[in-house]
Amino acid sequence: MTKITKEEILKIANMSHLDIKEEEIAPMMKQLEGVLTYAERVSQIAAETEEAVVKNTNVFREDVALHSDAERILERAPEREESFYVVPAIIEDK
Amino acid sequence: MESFAFATIKELKTLLANKEVTPEEVLSASLARFKEQDPQIGAALEVFEKQSIIEASEHSGALYGIPGLIKDNISQQNRGLTCASKILADFNSPYDATAVARLKQAGAYLVGRANMDEFAMGSSGETSAYFPTKNPWNTACVPGGSSSGSAAAVAAGFVPWALGSDTGGSVRQPAAFCGILGLKPTYGLVSRYGLVAYGSSLDQIGIFARTAYDTALVLSTIAGNDPHDSSSLPEKPKEYIRALDGKLPEGLRIGVVDNALHAEGMDPEVVQAIEQAIAQYEKMGAKITRIQLPTLDYTAAAYFIISRAEAASNLARFDGVRYGMRTPDAQTLREMYFKTRHDGFGAEVKARIMVGNYVLSAGHADAFYSNAKKVQRLIRREFIEAFADLDMLIMPTHPAPAFTFGAYKDDKLKMDLQDYFTCAMNLSGNPALSIPCGMSSTKMPIGMQLVGPHLSEERLLQAAHAFEQVTDWHTMKPGI
Repeated sequence: MTKITKEEILKIANMSHLDIKEEEIAPMMKQLEGVLTYAERVSQIAAETEEAVVKNTNVFREDVALHSDAERILERAPEREESFYVVPAIIEDK
Repeated sequence: MESFAFATIKELKTLLANKEVTPEEVLSASLARFKEQDPQIGAALEVFEKQSIIEASEHSGALYGIPGLIKDNISQQNRGLTCASKILADFNSPYDATAVARLKQAGAYLVGRANMDEFAMGSSGETSAYFPTKNPWNTACVPGGSSSGSAAAVAAGFVPWALGSDTGGSVRQPAAFCGILGLKPTYGLVSRYGLVAYGSSLDQIGIFARTAYDTALVLSTIAGNDPHDSSSLPEKPKEYIRALDGKLPEGLRIGVVDNALHAEGMDPEVVQAIEQAIAQYEKMGAKITRIQLPTLDYTAAAYFIISRAEAASNLARFDGVRYGMRTPDAQTLREMYFKTRHDGFGAEVKARIMVGNYVLSAGHADAFYSNAKKVQRLIRREFIEAFADLDMLIMPTHPAPAFTFGAYKDDKLKMDLQDYFTCAMNLSGNPALSIPCGMSSTKMPIGMQLVGPHLSEERLLQAAHAFEQVTDWHTMKPGI
C-alpha cells in the first residue's frame, strides 16, 4: 500500500491554510492512509466501467442585484473600516 | 400546566382549532420542557426568549403555534448560527434560510438552535465544539448525527418536529437511533438557501417528526422551487397529507435490498425487526421482491471522497476576514489565516478539509475524485433500473442500534461506516425516509429506510402512514 510522507502532510496542510503542530502530523498520516484504501475500492469498480462522469447543466438568471444592504454583511466582520475589511499586512517584511 | 409532551402536530392543531389551548400555552410548555430536561440531554445550543419567538412568526398558517427546533447550520435571521463550531461562536445570521422563512410564514414557532456535529461532520453528535447530545432512550448512548440535537429534542418530547440536514445520512441515522421518523427529501426539493454548505451536491434539509402525517405537514410547508437556490427543482408546493388515507397504494411493489439487509456486520436484532416489518407490508397487500444493488458496496467509499472534496472547497471561506472568529495578534495575513483556521476548527473538521484537499490535489484527482464520480453514476443508474419494476425499496438505516459515547474513538474509519446504508441516496438524489420498526433487547430503537424514485415523497409517506395504522413502534416513548 502507498505510504503518505510527512512532507505530503505539510504540503496539504499548507494548501488547506491550516497550521499543523508536530504532534498532529502522525495521526493525520494514519488517517490519509486509510483514505487510500477507499481510493483502491472505487478504482476497482471504476476500472470496469466506461460510464462518463455526470454532466451538470447551467441554471441562468438575470444579472440583477438582489440585495443592496452591504452594512448588514460588513458589520459582521472581525475588523473593518467604512466599507473595507481590515486584515494584517499582506506583504511580509524581510 | 398541561405539558403536551409527545403530542403530535396533528393533535396540537386540533387542540388549537378547538380553542382548548392557546399557541402561547403550547409554546410555554415546550420551553418549560427544555428548561427542565434539556440539561440532561443537551439537544439545544440555545433556546430563545418566548416573546421573540412569537414575534418572529406570522400569527396564522398551517403550522400556527406549533413549536419546532432548527439545526444550527440553518440560518434564522438575527439569531446565532454556529454550526456547533468555535469559528462561528459569535456569528449571527443576517437573513432567513428559505425553509425557515416558509416556516415562519406558516406560523410555526422556532424555539431555538439544535446542537449538532461540528459543520455536520460526524455520526454521533460528539464533534460538537460545545457539548455532546445524549440519546433520550439511554443517556450513555449517542443520539446519532450529525443532526443530533434535532433528533433528541423530538424523541424527548420537547418539540413535535425539527429540521436537520442530511449529506450522507445525518437525518435518517439519528432518527433511527432515537425512534422517530427522519426524511431526506429528493435532492432539490427543499431549497438549500441559508443552509451552511458541507457537500453541496449532496446536502439536503430534512425533517424529524413522530408520525408520517406530521412529516408531511412540515414538508408541505418547506418544499418547492426557490429562485435563491439554482439547484432547486421546478416543483410547485404540494399538500403531502392528501395521500395519507391509511392504506398502501394499490398493488405496491416493494424491493428488499438483500445485499444491504444481510450485509456482514448486521446486528441480528436489526435484521429480525426489518424482516418482521417486511412481513407486515406483505400482509398489508404489498408485493415483495428480493433484489441486489451491487454498487451499494462501493458507495460509502465514493461518498467519503466526494463529500470531503466538497467540504474542503466549502470551508475555505472561513478565513477570519469577513465573518466569524479571527485569532488575534497575527503579524501577517497568511499567519492570520492559518492560526484562525487552526484554532477555530475542531479535529474532525480539519481532518476532512485535509482529506478533501488531498483527494483533489494534482496527481490524485483522477484516482480519487473522478473514480468516485463514476461510482455515483453507477449507483444512480442502479436505482433507476430498480425502479423500472418496483415502487419502493426497503433497506436498513443502520447496522446496529445507538452505540455508547467514545465507542469509535480509536477507529474513525469504522465510525464512517455509519453512512453505509444511507449515503447511496445522497449520491443518487433519491428520497429516503427512516421509520421506527422495532426495539432491541436493550430497549433501543431500530429504524429502516423506505426509498423511492425521485420526487416520490408522497408515496413514501403514504407507505409509512399505512404502517403506523397497524404497528405501534412510532408511539413508543423514552422514559425521561
